[in-house]
Amino acid sequence: MKKLVAYITATYPNKDFTVDLALALKDAGVDYLELGIPFSDPVADGPVIDEANQKALKNGFKIKDLFDVSKKIAPKIPTLWMGYFNPFYHKGLDLFINEAKNAKVKGFIIPDLPYEEALPYKKDIEANNLCLIDFVAPTDSKERINKIVKDAKEFIYMVAYAGITGASKSENLQEIIANVKAVTSTPLFIGFGVNEQNAKEKAKGVDGVIVGSAFIKVLLDNNLNYTQKIEKISIMAKNIKEQINS
Amino acid sequence: MYIPKPSKYDPDSNGHFGIFGGRYVPETLMPILEELEQNYLKVRFDNDFWSEVDYYYKQYVGRPSPLYFAKNLSDELGAKVYLKREDLNHTGAHKINHTVAQAILAKRLGKKKIIAETGAGQHGVATATVAALFNLECEIFMGAKDVKRQELNVFRMKLLGAKVHSVTSGSQTLKDAMNDAIRHWVSNARDTFYVIGTVAGPHPYPMMIRDIQSIIGYEAKAQILKAENKMPDFVIACIGGGSNAMGIFNHFLDEEQTQCIGIEAGGLGLDSKHGASLAKGSPGVLHGQMSYLLQDEDGQILEAYSISAGLDYPGIGPEHAYLKELGKVKYDSITDKEALDAFVWLSQKEGIIPAFESSHAIAYLKKMPKEEIKGKIIIVNLSGRGDKDMVQAKNLLHFD
Repeated sequence: MKKLVAYITATYPNKDFTVDLALALKDAGVDYLELGIPFSDPVADGPVIDEANQKALKNGFKIKDLFDVSKKIAPKIPTLWMGYFNPFYHKGLDLFINEAKNAKVKGFIIPDLPYEEALPYKKDIEANNLCLIDFVAPTDSKERINKIVKDAKEFIYMVAYAGITGASKSENLQEIIANVKAVTSTPLFIGFGVNEQNAKEKAKGVDGVIVGSAFIKVLLDNNLNYTQKIEKISIMAKNIKEQINS
Repeated sequence: MYIPKPSKYDPDSNGHFGIFGGRYVPETLMPILEELEQNYLKVRFDNDFWSEVDYYYKQYVGRPSPLYFAKNLSDELGAKVYLKREDLNHTGAHKINHTVAQAILAKRLGKKKIIAETGAGQHGVATATVAALFNLECEIFMGAKDVKRQELNVFRMKLLGAKVHSVTSGSQTLKDAMNDAIRHWVSNARDTFYVIGTVAGPHPYPMMIRDIQSIIGYEAKAQILKAENKMPDFVIACIGGGSNAMGIFNHFLDEEQTQCIGIEAGGLGLDSKHGASLAKGSPGVLHGQMSYLLQDEDGQILEAYSISAGLDYPGIGPEHAYLKELGKVKYDSITDKEALDAFVWLSQKEGIIPAFESSHAIAYLKKMPKEEIKGKIIIVNLSGRGDKDMVQAKNLLHFD
């Protein structure tokens, strides 16, 4: 069965909502929750997720809030923290490792910490039975893919196109997929620009999809109340899960 | 002819200056940066490449820039003050040095499009200028606030044929312009060359732009030897990202006689709003590099502030962070008020109107204890001219 990873921006619009949404997503069949850590300068993200980040910060988001909500979420659905490297570095990776273990978070996704820069930190993370998700991109050579995915844990995050999250671009990824599969049996998930319309197509040849901006658009929709937002996102998740497995 | 030389302070093979620098970028950009690094290393010491750069420096930019003995300033201070006149370059600042060389590199790599971020618009104008010269498509990213503040430079860029994007995300200033330039670059990296405007960003940019800008120190060293037959006691430059400072410091770092001093934007004072990342920031990662940053307790990036849009940046080039930790360069800051006083001082003493950025370096001459500089030789890098600041200055100063 192909997996579905759902990205949501932690604590937007508030902490209770994030917990409710996470649990609803679990019921909708989501396999992993990617809990986004709001950051002032999210350069890998498009306008939708950027807006959610800025709004969460405006609402007063603190890293402590991430730890709080994670304790209520991670024991119930496999959860990863997705965030830019600076807050990890500034507050100390040790703190994140300890808090992740406390909350039963499985690991980290850090889009601006590529393989080379990650090396000094990866050992510590893995020694604590946590994972640091590896990225592969359409610009990668076969040699580089070999190097990156050789020891990949949990799953590999394949960026669907050269770009930022939530764009409507597509690229031929068959060669990249073959290159990854030749080296490892770690599941390969595709993310960036995946939505209800294209999930089935995007899931071809891979083991799962990662959906973010499509959900966050609903999260940012001022015409919906909290209950409607959760309901709408859950239905989308359910549909996507069905489509990728049909 | 100027050709860079390997430096004792060169980064390691992954671009690290000590703990600083590196390549903290989305995976999509890693192969692009590796390719750029390999291509830059091929031309780094290549006679043919630098001959082409040299041609444009001499014929188009107007290099070498003079090292001017500022007699009136010197008399007042009791020191020998020389000004490295980067303000006399085409387009009015040192920025044209690195845009010319980067555009030639972009052309050699077969890239037809260039992009750049800009704060005050000087780097944007210098990029739009070389785009016109070398027939490249050009898009400039500028914070919406800066677009309003620097209307004239926006018009200049458009006149030169560039497309200007007004960036409305985040704080709508230089930091956010750079975010959007990076986002555009990730999406178009295969055919687009990112002309970064300072010694910052992911490797190889900090090293590459330092190499290019070191034409300033290379010339200044020969010029001061000719004038004084000895090394200067002090070399002073202002720092936003730090390109003009790295450019002039690089050739003096290992001169025992010489103390290099970098001047950050003190804004309204270091206990208030400012742009002094080295003085008040801490190490962190932004825009592809590890360096000193202005950030809060959670590692969220703070907005910088300075009277000068070119120094209004919450980070600093990683090599400066490294030189600070090594104790090799001294760093200090100058407030808006001190800079504005120096702006008037240089204008009225020497008939040279400096950019607000460069006014910070000039102001430091007055901050240094008189007995410490008595009879000493001082070079100040006059990185740019003040034309762009006239509208802002007119609102701040009244002479009637």
